[in-house]
Amino acid sequence: MPGFSILRLIQVGFRSLRLHKLRSALTMLGMIIGVWAVILLVAIGEGASREAQEAIKALGAQNVIIRSIKPISDKVQLQGEMQWESIYGLKNSDAVRIEKTVPGVKRVLPILRHRKNVTHEQRDKDCQLIGTFPHYPQFTQSRLVAGQFLNEMEEARKENACVLTMSLAGFLFPGKNPLGQEVIVRGRESHQIFRVKGILEERADSEKLPQQADATGHTILANVYIPLSTFKALYGIKDIDLSVGSISVNTVELSEIRVEFGSVDEVVPALPLIREALDKVRKDKVDYEIQVPINELNALKAQKARDTWLLMLIACISLLVGGIGIMNIMLATVTERTQEIGVRRALGATQIDISVQFLVETLILCLIGGTIGVLGGCGNAAFFHYILHHTTIVTEWSVIAAFGLSVGVGLTFGLYPAWSAARLDPIEALRHA
Amino acid sequence: MADRNIIEIRNLTKIYDLGAIQVPALKGLNFEIEEGSYTAIMGPSGSGKSTLLNILGCLDRPTAGAYILGNDDVAHMSDKELSGVRGARIGFIFQSYNLIQQLNVIENIHVPLFYQGKDISDYYDHCEKLAQKVGLGDRLDHRPMELSGGQQQRVAVARSLVNEPLMLLADEPTGNLDSTTEQEILDILDELHAEGRTLLVVTHDDAVAERASRVIHLKDGQVDKDIRKQDSDRKSENQFQEA
Repeated sequence: MPGFSILRLIQVGFRSLRLHKLRSALTMLGMIIGVWAVILLVAIGEGASREAQEAIKALGAQNVIIRSIKPISDKVQLQGEMQWESIYGLKNSDAVRIEKTVPGVKRVLPILRHRKNVTHEQRDKDCQLIGTFPHYPQFTQSRLVAGQFLNEMEEARKENACVLTMSLAGFLFPGKNPLGQEVIVRGRESHQIFRVKGILEERADSEKLPQQADATGHTILANVYIPLSTFKALYGIKDIDLSVGSISVNTVELSEIRVEFGSVDEVVPALPLIREALDKVRKDKVDYEIQVPINELNALKAQKARDTWLLMLIACISLLVGGIGIMNIMLATVTERTQEIGVRRALGATQIDISVQFLVETLILCLIGGTIGVLGGCGNAAFFHYILHHTTIVTEWSVIAAFGLSVGVGLTFGLYPAWSAARLDPIEALRHA
Repeated sequence: MADRNIIEIRNLTKIYDLGAIQVPALKGLNFEIEEGSYTAIMGPSGSGKSTLLNILGCLDRPTAGAYILGNDDVAHMSDKELSGVRGARIGFIFQSYNLIQQLNVIENIHVPLFYQGKDISDYYDHCEKLAQKVGLGDRLDHRPMELSGGQQQRVAVARSLVNEPLMLLADEPTGNLDSTTEQEILDILDELHAEGRTLLVVTHDDAVAERASRVIHLKDGQVDKDIRKQDSDRKSENQFQEA
């Protein structure tokens, strides 16, 4: 059949569908909803997955994070019934041992944290006071917004210098430049004055810290970074927790050790060696956990692959339902237009001509439905993204798959009505009123 | 007028196989239709009239016998071949006009050409001339719904002419029309006959048969009477003009 005939068929197909606008629109609805849902769901899933991957990447794919955790029933009673002390966790020696014995380790970063109240003038905030080394920003891929991070000199001299996270700086110094200003870190025995020398933009979630919401509903990542040596000199390693009627003391030398490897490939093989290095000095006491971002990332990717298949399955089911709806209507149309089919046959149409005509009409329905669905789904995803600030990512493959499935459904479910139209006996068809 | 036969029917037989019983509808017909003739086929219901029409229109195949249309025996062609024969050699005119509702006048006239693979833009003038010929030159973009029965039948006549068929095959062409309109359509058919076209009209209406130069009466699946009239016997003014 020459090309112009196909164009003509499409043109006439459109006109046949326009004869019953409402019916055609309702027929397309199943297709529209199916495709719309596919595009939107995939975009939401993709967005969520991308966000999670970003968060894990922020921890560093070539990093391993070892955290101190409190072992169960490991309390030592101090004087008095309501005073307890737990001694556990990572030590400086662990960090040194890992750096020396585990192959592939580029550097390690010790971190010590306590909760402290930090004030400036009338404003105060419960913060994480973090003692760490000067290479902390490179390790965590955090960006220095203003000033300097802590340096070796301050570490060596145990100086009272500090760096604030951006949202905390904004809270404590509204409308002011915090650099060179002083904050007071309240302790049980003494209050200490720290000079602010830098502002750090921490990558979200990289610390897995509880974020606090302020009065306006914005979350604040309230971290105060000071030299590890200063931290130990001023506060020691005992973290005192005052609960109702009791005092518990957690004696932890290091809250966390971050280990950076030269490359991502070296991470997984080194994990048993890290455990060996840590367990060597421990007697069956489990007081640490190891977080491996690369493994989490891979698990997330595997999860995403499964989710994608599930979405595709749901999509296929909804398109199947849409397709059955279309087939149903096309069969009704064939019955309704039996006489037209008879006339066309009498005027020289072959069975192929008739089936192509009905197939083209089904395909038009599916493609228009698919197009509206794609546009609707993309628009919907954009609405979520830009208006509701819920990350969505419309992937090319979902659009291509949606169109492909539309055509597939059109061909599959259009074939039977087309065939049943073609096999009509012209004489019977002509007689049909 | 040439004596060339457009149609030769030889021992044409049609038996409907209903499983338990076999019903013979046509029992060995024999006749010829000459080029440029105007023939009416008449007969009571059950005489095999419709069966013959379907076979002559290449919509059905005979059980036995030969049907020579033009130069080919089309009696045992495949469905696809018959579709081609219908589209190229036969111009159908139906009782209920059978225009396609979603197409306008000019597009309806073009339909048979479409199935011959001919683009409407190349044949627009041709279709328009035919519309003018049947008096619908000012209604080219009207849909069938917007036309009267007589006008619709005129469109159908124009459509039957569009691919210069060997013969026009009309099935009760005035069956749905009032007497005034009937005359108009019959006059058009007379004109076409005068132009030298071959007409075959299946009817039970004497007024229609009266216009024909030959009437074949069927009865029980056989030719009962085959009457050829002289031109002078006929009333049509057109025929007088031709003479």
